[in-house]
Amino acid sequence: MNHRGRKTVHMSDASWIRSALERFEAPLTRYAFGITGDLERARDVVQDTFLRLCSESPARLDGRVAPWLFKVCRNRALDVRKKEARTLSLEDGRSESWESLDPLPSAELEAKEGMTRVVALLTTLPENQREVIRLKFQNELSYREISEITGLSTSNVGFLLHRGLRSLRELLQRDSRESSESVRPVRPLRSVP
Amino acid sequence: MTIDLEDPKLTAYALGELTDETERASVEALVSQSDDARRLVEEIRSTASLLRKELAAEPSIELTGIHRERIDRSLEKRARMGRFLSWTAAAAVVLFSVSIVWWWKLSHMPEVAEPEVAEPEARVSSYPTPPPPAAPAFVAPALTPGQKKGAVSGETEGGVPGGVAGGMGGGVVGGAPAAIESATMQELRSLGYIGYTAGAPSVPSPPEAYARYGYEGRNTDSLDVQRVRPPFHTEGYDRIDDNPFLGVGQNPLSTFSIDVDTASYANVRRFVSQSMLPPKDAVRIEEMVNYFDYDYPAPPEGQPFSVNVEIADAPWKPEHRLMRIGLKGTPLSLDDRPRLNLVFLLDVSGSMEPPDKLPLLKKAMRLLVDELRENDQVAIVVYAGASGMVLPRTSGDQKGVILDALDRLQAGGSTNGGAGIQLAYDHAVAHFIPGGTNRVVLATDGDFNVGVTSQGELTRLIEERAASGVFLSVLGFGMGNYKDSTLEKLADRGNGNYAYIDSLSEARKVLVREMGSTLVTIAKDVKIQIEFNPAEVESYRLIGYENRVLRAEDFNDDEKDAGEIGAGHTVTALYEIVPAGVPTDTPSVDPLKYQQSLAATQTASTGEILTVKLRYKEPDGETSKLLERPVRDEEKTYASATQDFKFAAAVASFGMILRDSPHKGNATFDGVLELAREGVGADRHGYRAEFLELARRAKSLREQ
Repeated sequence: MNHRGRKTVHMSDASWIRSALERFEAPLTRYAFGITGDLERARDVVQDTFLRLCSESPARLDGRVAPWLFKVCRNRALDVRKKEARTLSLEDGRSESWESLDPLPSAELEAKEGMTRVVALLTTLPENQREVIRLKFQNELSYREISEITGLSTSNVGFLLHRGLRSLRELLQRDSRESSESVRPVRPLRSVP
Repeated sequence: MTIDLEDPKLTAYALGELTDETERASVEALVSQSDDARRLVEEIRSTASLLRKELAAEPSIELTGIHRERIDRSLEKRARMGRFLSWTAAAAVVLFSVSIVWWWKLSHMPEVAEPEVAEPEARVSSYPTPPPPAAPAFVAPALTPGQKKGAVSGETEGGVPGGVAGGMGGGVVGGAPAAIESATMQELRSLGYIGYTAGAPSVPSPPEAYARYGYEGRNTDSLDVQRVRPPFHTEGYDRIDDNPFLGVGQNPLSTFSIDVDTASYANVRRFVSQSMLPPKDAVRIEEMVNYFDYDYPAPPEGQPFSVNVEIADAPWKPEHRLMRIGLKGTPLSLDDRPRLNLVFLLDVSGSMEPPDKLPLLKKAMRLLVDELRENDQVAIVVYAGASGMVLPRTSGDQKGVILDALDRLQAGGSTNGGAGIQLAYDHAVAHFIPGGTNRVVLATDGDFNVGVTSQGELTRLIEERAASGVFLSVLGFGMGNYKDSTLEKLADRGNGNYAYIDSLSEARKVLVREMGSTLVTIAKDVKIQIEFNPAEVESYRLIGYENRVLRAEDFNDDEKDAGEIGAGHTVTALYEIVPAGVPTDTPSVDPLKYQQSLAATQTASTGEILTVKLRYKEPDGETSKLLERPVRDEEKTYASATQDFKFAAAVASFGMILRDSPHKGNATFDGVLELAREGVGADRHGYRAEFLELARRAKSLREQ
């Protein structure tokens, strides 16, 4: 009974949701963008995620807000993508009206411009490796949290990270060998002790 | 345990993720024995830190105001439900315990099941209706007017009471969670499908448009009454005539005051989101262009702002050139912002009652109060029939006291703005913080109808008070009897800025994100004068700034008031330039009988097309300083212009179309969309994406 009483007191206090919004708005939008490939879709997905958070109680999410948000965001983004793929194949082409779903050019621009070498190489990896790498290194989530978000086992997460990092290392090394032969400055990629 | 170099455990170890003691011990053993293993671990770590660094540097993207708004509304609903629940739950707890005892006595069952809290996914699907809210902001399925109305009233009236009924109906025992659930689900549903009532794409028939114009979201009876109300009869806008092309021969100097206001854009957005095109005179192009932030470099040391000029083809008339002059004020880190001495001057007259006025105003002020620090001070003055001090000077750490005072405000009575303004200024002067930000923040719909009501008297009053060193911010609210013209003049005369607040997200933009530029003035009386070179330029036209044009003599006259620039603020002005030799239809004047036209100086043949001169004063200074910069045309084509240039050009052409400007050339909505798309750039806060949406909707409105 005490437990329920405490919960209702928290219910009227939305400040933890606001602070979650401040903290996770940008990382989640980035994450959703990685899945949907469309900035506006990504924003909608993140909005839905937070609307969902508004019906959660803080007690239930205690300490697990980050993985919860990423998980809900991921499922929603995958739904949208699936739906989109279906719509596109059915309609075969885009409608002319302003309601058409063309991605904003900023999405494409962001995908190409201003990318560093590593981020560009990252796009060549398989999607599941790319995803865990971003969750791990961009969002500082643990193997366990990533497993919770993606539904993969922790050893599976470890395997994907391992493979992904190895591919990146190889690509970067090849890159630095090539660039050391050209005029481009060599970036110290291997720090050999 | 054997581990080879291909084992993912090595990666896990390198990243500090190997939690199992035995596993970690065996990897450690391997690393201490094998150079290869050690090198591999080092490499994994350096790749990881490279990834961390570069992924952190990726441009950040955020939600747009529209998205934020929906979340805010859901949060509010949650808060309301929370308050309601605190007593239902109390009642439920009592009844629950009674029922347990009773149950216990009856059945001797030792356990009573806790009400199940379902998984979020299960929650959503347990509701019969919701199709997945996949529809993005404006792509919500078009509802017929009937459906739409039902949905709207469902939201405004059914919201809380529905939740209440759900709570009761859910049984007393499980009451609390069920009530929350049904309220939030309604919110989700209404948000997903009706949207932001203003955001739905369906266009209501004219009578409905009038009704919505009056009071959106009130009960249906008043909707019927409002139905006959014509759209513009009480909103006040001053007539604006587009600046004409001027020949450089007769008019070599163009002089104007900067304008940092953004109200017009927010107001235009309000019209379009209610499926109406704004009246011509509500569209001030400079305020639309200045709504957006542009990526100008920060100024050099010792200068309050940087001056940036870019020239390329005018997209709506390729034979003309378009010049963009951009100023950027020194950004201010929030930690060093000066102390604030704010006097909120709030209009609580009867006309402020609708939800988009006083209630929104209170919420907007809460956002600002959240940002206060202990050495800031705030006072609240209200005015209606009589004016009064609601909260005398209170320090910024007494947030509870300030918020309580805000909460108690109620609308009623007629409006005597004049007396309130005097009281607010007196208070701000009495508690003046030297070196701080001393400012009156006036929030109103501008409908002053008692006391000092003539515009002349009001503006004179403000002008007098501005001499005391207290600056003014005007926040416009509401619709229907909104007096845009009065408010703009007040801000203009009162060393102030002016923003229109149509939503909580706009309040957040103006009062939180752009707090520095809204509240902290870094230069005042900023004037721009351009001298055009007749050898290079045939004629020119200043786009927008119609009510900011000054006489050439005013430039060097330090008595003449002009616009202020805030910390980190960007101000943009656009000129359309007809290069020498391009035929123009500028009307000619007869040659002078008693004097000869001026001969060109030597500098005229240097290739400079014009010189930009700026005058400004330090915030507490009396004499102006001069900045001067000659400009050449680098012959940039439109294609090679910067994204910011394209975006500003898009906003200006949008404004010209809405104003049906005689100079709009071949500008079309499609052209605007194309330009804006090319110019969207990183768009961190989504404001530019929102502009694209606005232009699309305006286009569809025009086509009907």
